[in-house]
Amino acid sequence: MLNLIEVRNLKKAFGTNIVLKDINETVEKGQVICVVGPSGSGKSTFLRCLNVLEEPTEGQVLFDGKDLIHLNEEELNGLRQRMGMVFQSFNLFPNMSVLDNVKLAPLRVKKVGEEKATEDAKKLLKQVGLEDKAEQYPESLSGGQMQRVAIARALAMDPEVMLFDEPTSALDPEMVGEVLKVMRDLADSGMTMVVVTHEMGFAKEVADQIWFMDDGYIQEKGKPQDFFTAPKTERARAFLSKMLQ
Amino acid sequence: MKVKSLWLFLCVFVFALFIPFQHVNAASDGNLQKVKDKGTLVVGTSADYPPYEFTVKEGGETKYVGLDMDIAKKFAADLGVKLVIKNMNFDSLLVALETHKVDMVISGMNPTLERQESVDFSKIYYRGKQFMLINKKDTARFKSIKSFKNQTIGAQTGSLQYTLVKQQMKNNEIKGLAKLNDLVIALQSGKVNAVAMEEATAKAFAKNNTGLKVINPQFKVDSSQTGSAIAFPKGDTSMVAAANSTINNIKKQNLINKEYIPNAGKYMAGNTNKNSMLNYWTYFAKGIEYTLLITVVSVFFGFVLGVFFALMRLSHNKFLHWLAVAYIEFVRGTPLMVQVMFVYFGIGTLIQSLPALIAGIIAVSLNSTAYVAEVIRSGIESIPTGQTEAARSLGLSQKLTYRYVIIPQALKNIWPALGNEFITLIKESSIVSIIGVTDLIYQMQLVQSATYKGVVPIFIAMVIYFIMTFSLSKVLGYFEGRMKHA
Ligand SMILES: Nc1ncnc2c1ncn2[C@@H]1O[C@H](COP(=O)(O)OP(=O)(O)O)[C@@H](O)[C@H]1O
Ligand SMILES: [Mg+2]
Repeated sequence: MLNLIEVRNLKKAFGTNIVLKDINETVEKGQVICVVGPSGSGKSTFLRCLNVLEEPTEGQVLFDGKDLIHLNEEELNGLRQRMGMVFQSFNLFPNMSVLDNVKLAPLRVKKVGEEKATEDAKKLLKQVGLEDKAEQYPESLSGGQMQRVAIARALAMDPEVMLFDEPTSALDPEMVGEVLKVMRDLADSGMTMVVVTHEMGFAKEVADQIWFMDDGYIQEKGKPQDFFTAPKTERARAFLSKMLQ
Repeated sequence: MKVKSLWLFLCVFVFALFIPFQHVNAASDGNLQKVKDKGTLVVGTSADYPPYEFTVKEGGETKYVGLDMDIAKKFAADLGVKLVIKNMNFDSLLVALETHKVDMVISGMNPTLERQESVDFSKIYYRGKQFMLINKKDTARFKSIKSFKNQTIGAQTGSLQYTLVKQQMKNNEIKGLAKLNDLVIALQSGKVNAVAMEEATAKAFAKNNTGLKVINPQFKVDSSQTGSAIAFPKGDTSMVAAANSTINNIKKQNLINKEYIPNAGKYMAGNTNKNSMLNYWTYFAKGIEYTLLITVVSVFFGFVLGVFFALMRLSHNKFLHWLAVAYIEFVRGTPLMVQVMFVYFGIGTLIQSLPALIAGIIAVSLNSTAYVAEVIRSGIESIPTGQTEAARSLGLSQKLTYRYVIIPQALKNIWPALGNEFITLIKESSIVSIIGVTDLIYQMQLVQSATYKGVVPIFIAMVIYFIMTFSLSKVLGYFEGRMKHA
């Protein structure tokens, strides 16, 4: 199997606060990784180090064999196009219609041309079940709809891996399902995914591997059925019992 | 903080560098030849001083007339060059001379010892007495200097009369204003009890305002310092000699008493016959045109440069950041009036031919740049970082992110503040009138001196300003509403 992402000796500190202490992991092509762990344990920071929204303090992040840390701006922009990211707070562009949100990067970065961008964007909106919202502005959508647009927007660049940072945490409970369904479909289509989530049901069902993060380390990793039924570390047991109560 | 004061020091230092240049310029003669070579005699004057210099309207055009203007015309004719009149505040005349904005100044100016230190004078061409203008109802009370005990006396700032009042009426409060018209308004409204002015001027005002009267308060005057002379830059001996020869001719033929003063009297009488405001609507129209021109051009450059400086200030490059901070803080920490004078007189030292209008636009634009930059910066900073992160995660460069995501949202947020800046500029740009730009205020002053009416032109200008700002704020409000729904 091809190693799409390789993390070596990754450390990240904010001032004196050491958030990531020493992380060594690989993501293989086609794998779905769910990262779980208590809040404040560094999951978002880890995910953001993968596409260098956060610059690591030490260590390497290899994407397709290239070390992202030592790239110049231009090369970094090039590699970021190949990694999609979905945020907890959606971060749709409120100044553009739903369609323009999805079209922006293909049009301005890939320069695919107006017609093709529109056509592709409409296809993606259909894929997430929102083709009828194309002309609306984000403010008129529900949270679940916004997050589905955000997923379509990230997919528009045809990425090789998708990073999700708690995509359903900001949603009302009745909307969580529609977003998880889109993600499940995506996983089924073979997309490589790294998902930070508190949705244990989703993780159990979709993940190839669970990474349990606490105190700046990946404390434990394994197949979902092993992790959820027989966690090896005391920390993981404590976390799970809190999550499932 | 340290870096900021360093910048301040640097700015002062650079400014100081200009000063030596000026002296080198002024000391060299051969100016007579220079004037002949360029074919124009540029004359500075403060045209609110009838019968010496004032304005009339002829065929829709403003014309500078009066005995000084006749002398200047004769002098230009003697030199065989074209006469160009620059009208400005009396206060600014000598600065204009020293910075070579004008070749000479003729403005009923008395060659006082103080002035002789900074400029050279021709011989005296006319000597009038120093009079006082009072309200007719006070005729019985005010007869001489002594009878003004504890009263407030008005005089034009920087004038001989101002010095006389200060020295010889020590128990009186003195109120100095730049414009005689404003002093006369002050007199009529009881803010001052008398205005000291030159005989001929005082008589002109009395003739045109039935409520006013002229008295001779018997100032003691040193004959070497009274009378009017033409001012030239220091060391300009060739021009002084040429002027003296023209003055000799004028005196020989008694032109001033025989032609020039009667001539001025005719214009003054003509003015009073048609001093209804309607006759002067073209004045106000021109003022509106210039005020809007200055504002619109300055808003444009202020915005473009403002975006530029805002991005510089937000830049990670330390040098660019501090450069922008220094500029913004410095401009916001100094009055627009000083900036206007600095651009016109200071930068004008390096670029002699810088017209007042361009200088005014440059100053107002540079001023607006600093304010707009801060508005834009706050607008940019108000956009959540999630927006940048989303754009960057899609592979957009920083430039594209700003262009398509940050700036459009920031503009929407700051639109009301930008509109405010526009409206502010319409009002603030009125300051450019001090360097002689023909904006609304300047035109208002022209109408005041042409009609001898003080308050009505002010009221009209005020109403015009209000109409402009009010309709602009309505228009902006309309677009704001539309942007909200976009
Ligand atoms: N930009 C930042 N500056 C300073 N501290 C940060 C920043 N981002 C995250 N942190 C700190 O890093 C720690 C881990 O945060 P985060 O990665 O968001 O955890 P999680 O996503 O697991 O909840 C927290 O203590 C948080 O305060
Ligand atoms: Mg998080």
